[in-house]
Amino acid sequence: MENALTLDGVTKRFGTVTAVDNVSLTIPQGTIYGFLGQNGAGKTTTIRMIMSILYPDSGRINVLGQDNAEAVKDRLGYLPEEKGLYKKMTTSEILTYFGRLKGMNARAAKKRGRELLERFGLGEWTDKKNEALSKGMGQKVQVLGTLIHEPELVILDEPFSGLDPVNVESMRDLILEMRDEGRTVIFSTHIMEQAEKICDSIFLIHKGNKVIDGTLAEVKSSGDLGIRLDYDGDGSVLRSLPGVERLNDHGKQAEIFLKEGYDPQETLAQLVGKITIRRFDLREPSLHEIFVRAVGGENAEAGSGEGA
Amino acid sequence: MNKKAFLVAEREFMEHLRTKTFWLGIFFFPVLITLSIVIPIWMEENKEARTYAVIDRSGWLLAEVEERAAMPDLAKVFHTALESYRDNDESFSEMPEALRQTAERLVKAIESVEGQALPGVDPDRPLEDQVIDGFATLLTGLSGPEGEKFRQFMPEEAINNLMALRDSVRDWWSELPPEEAAKYGARAKSRYVRIDPETDDIEALNKKITDQELFGYFVIGEDPVGGETELKYVSANLTDTDLLEWFQRLATDSVRERRLEAKEIDKSVAAWVQAPLRFESRMISRAGEEEEVETQDKLRQWAPVAFVYLLWFAVFMNAQMLLTNTVEEKSNRILEVLLSSVSPVELMSGKIAGIAAVGLTMLITWIASFLLAVKYVPKMMGADAPVNLSAIAGDPLYLGSFLVYFLLGYLFFAALLVGIGSVCNSLKEAQNLQQPVVLILIVPIMAMVPIAEDPNSTLAKVMSYIPPFTPFVMMNRAGAPPTTMEYVATTILLVASTAFMLWAAAKVFRIGVLMTGKPPKVSEIVRWIRAPVGMVPERSNE
Repeated sequence: MENALTLDGVTKRFGTVTAVDNVSLTIPQGTIYGFLGQNGAGKTTTIRMIMSILYPDSGRINVLGQDNAEAVKDRLGYLPEEKGLYKKMTTSEILTYFGRLKGMNARAAKKRGRELLERFGLGEWTDKKNEALSKGMGQKVQVLGTLIHEPELVILDEPFSGLDPVNVESMRDLILEMRDEGRTVIFSTHIMEQAEKICDSIFLIHKGNKVIDGTLAEVKSSGDLGIRLDYDGDGSVLRSLPGVERLNDHGKQAEIFLKEGYDPQETLAQLVGKITIRRFDLREPSLHEIFVRAVGGENAEAGSGEGA
Repeated sequence: MNKKAFLVAEREFMEHLRTKTFWLGIFFFPVLITLSIVIPIWMEENKEARTYAVIDRSGWLLAEVEERAAMPDLAKVFHTALESYRDNDESFSEMPEALRQTAERLVKAIESVEGQALPGVDPDRPLEDQVIDGFATLLTGLSGPEGEKFRQFMPEEAINNLMALRDSVRDWWSELPPEEAAKYGARAKSRYVRIDPETDDIEALNKKITDQELFGYFVIGEDPVGGETELKYVSANLTDTDLLEWFQRLATDSVRERRLEAKEIDKSVAAWVQAPLRFESRMISRAGEEEEVETQDKLRQWAPVAFVYLLWFAVFMNAQMLLTNTVEEKSNRILEVLLSSVSPVELMSGKIAGIAAVGLTMLITWIASFLLAVKYVPKMMGADAPVNLSAIAGDPLYLGSFLVYFLLGYLFFAALLVGIGSVCNSLKEAQNLQQPVVLILIVPIMAMVPIAEDPNSTLAKVMSYIPPFTPFVMMNRAGAPPTTMEYVATTILLVASTAFMLWAAAKVFRIGVLMTGKPPKVSEIVRWIRAPVGMVPERSNE
């Protein structure tokens, strides 16, 4: 299968700060690829270079078989991290405008824009001004704007940020649908749980360097198994367990990795009676755990749940 | 401009078309210009009649003043009648017999002398005016030069023929109520209405003033010619001196005539003694020839000031629009979406072009409404077109350079402000950053009057070569047009610097639009401009 995107030794500096350092990456067509990393890790800079909004200082970027990404701009869809709409335009008008900017003719863009709005439950908002939309609806309109010209590659920078659970759900459906239509989807997030749920592959960047890159299965199987615990009660007891190598305590849920030679059954026995155990199983490490291990140290508190 | 930049421009233009500000701007000027033509005419026509009374102890001055007041009025009435006779419209048949006959006989009289070289005829004035003035003077029995000349050049038979109507015209005139007089354009009769006080009692007259039955009254002593006599004007309103001045002027003329007679001074001698020296103003045209300065040219010297104001207003308003709009888009966070489809240069040029189109639409409406208003509004109100305005409206030096200088000036400041807008995250920041630009823009406004007074001074010449001032200063100097060389040199300089500004703005824009955080320092912006395309220099605060 042809690759949708190849980065080859890409580096970008802002003055003395190296935002992206010698990153190489291959993204096959038709996959959902998650760009993970903390705020400021270099995700947005990488994406902006792919979109040729910024130019790399060195290295090559090949998008949809073209070395010059500007030549394929019309085959890309892009939702930037900072999202906005022209407030005074109607939803239909702005979709038409985005479509025309991508080279569609006015009539086709208008027709497709209305179709998309209808299909994604915004039919009644078709001729309403954007300023009347709620945040979730506005974000949806923007994502539709990235889709109007049937792009082969869609890049969504933090598509889930600021959305309530219902909208997160519908955004996820939208992304899955894009993939099912054969598009390649790249999205960035700093929330590991979201990536874990829908990504085929992930690319983990930290301080401008590639840390992990591969399919979700590969990435997960590379780590040892850990205890996943759902519980109620005082979690401080977890910290006093013997033989714990790493503990990710989220309050109601915890992930425990034991040192060599310790038996998970003993851990279970020690916990019984001290807290209410609702679930206890052994499974692959979470992306959060993988991330923390890869980055190393306590400074890498990538947000679990809601990030800053 | 390529297709994407055009799309950006189109959207920009359409969006502004929907704003109230745009339509206010479109209508502001036409309304202003129409009002500035209509209001003076209307005020002239609708001045409230002033009722006054006169206690004349001299026994003759009031009567003479009345005759003097009647002369221009009658002349105007005859003009109206003549015109209506020529048009042969319905209003003519409704006119009183006396007027209709006068009109017919006037036409005959004019025809009888037309085309002949006659002694006493002023070749620079229309013959018709001279005939009418002459007849009106004779009718009122005044001894003005118009009457003497009229007797000189008009055959006696024609004069007798006309004068046969004297009594019927005068009867009609004295019976004519003031409200009717206005219809014939007789200003004095319709505006200054004398009523008979029926009393000489000052107390009673004062009461009439407080009761607002009278606007004012005059008291003329027994011997106004002698000069020691009592002359008084009493009114509750001394700020409105219109009535006083009018009456005073007419009375002075009469008294002066009598004084000359009393000292047996020949009237022509008196006129010669009193004639002031007048220096004929001439100006050297561009071709180096002497030209006589007409009144029009005086206006030509000052008209540019109005144009500079409008030009300044248009440039500043549109460049400001671009700034606000860029900052809004930046804080709306829409710019990055656009940048995934269009290049920064396309985006910037599209925005600049779109707002230029908004500005041009506005200016062209202004100019069109100016031309239309000057041409049609006075006509619609039955007044004469203001000569000097029409002259300017027809001069391409003003309207042409106005459009060109708008475009160049706008582009220059648009580049500056779009650059500023691109590095700001809020309007407040932008307002702080644009202050130096506003200061620059104030200079040509402050220099406006000195330049209009001396359009070819060193100050004016030097400022013409400073690109941000060029459009305004050159427009300002249009009254005494700069040389072609100056036009060429300053335009080259302006175009070159505008191109440079646009190039620099594009570089700042490219980096600025993606930037968040506090606005950069000037030194940083300079580094951005000097950095090669695609490289983002380090920020000093990071």
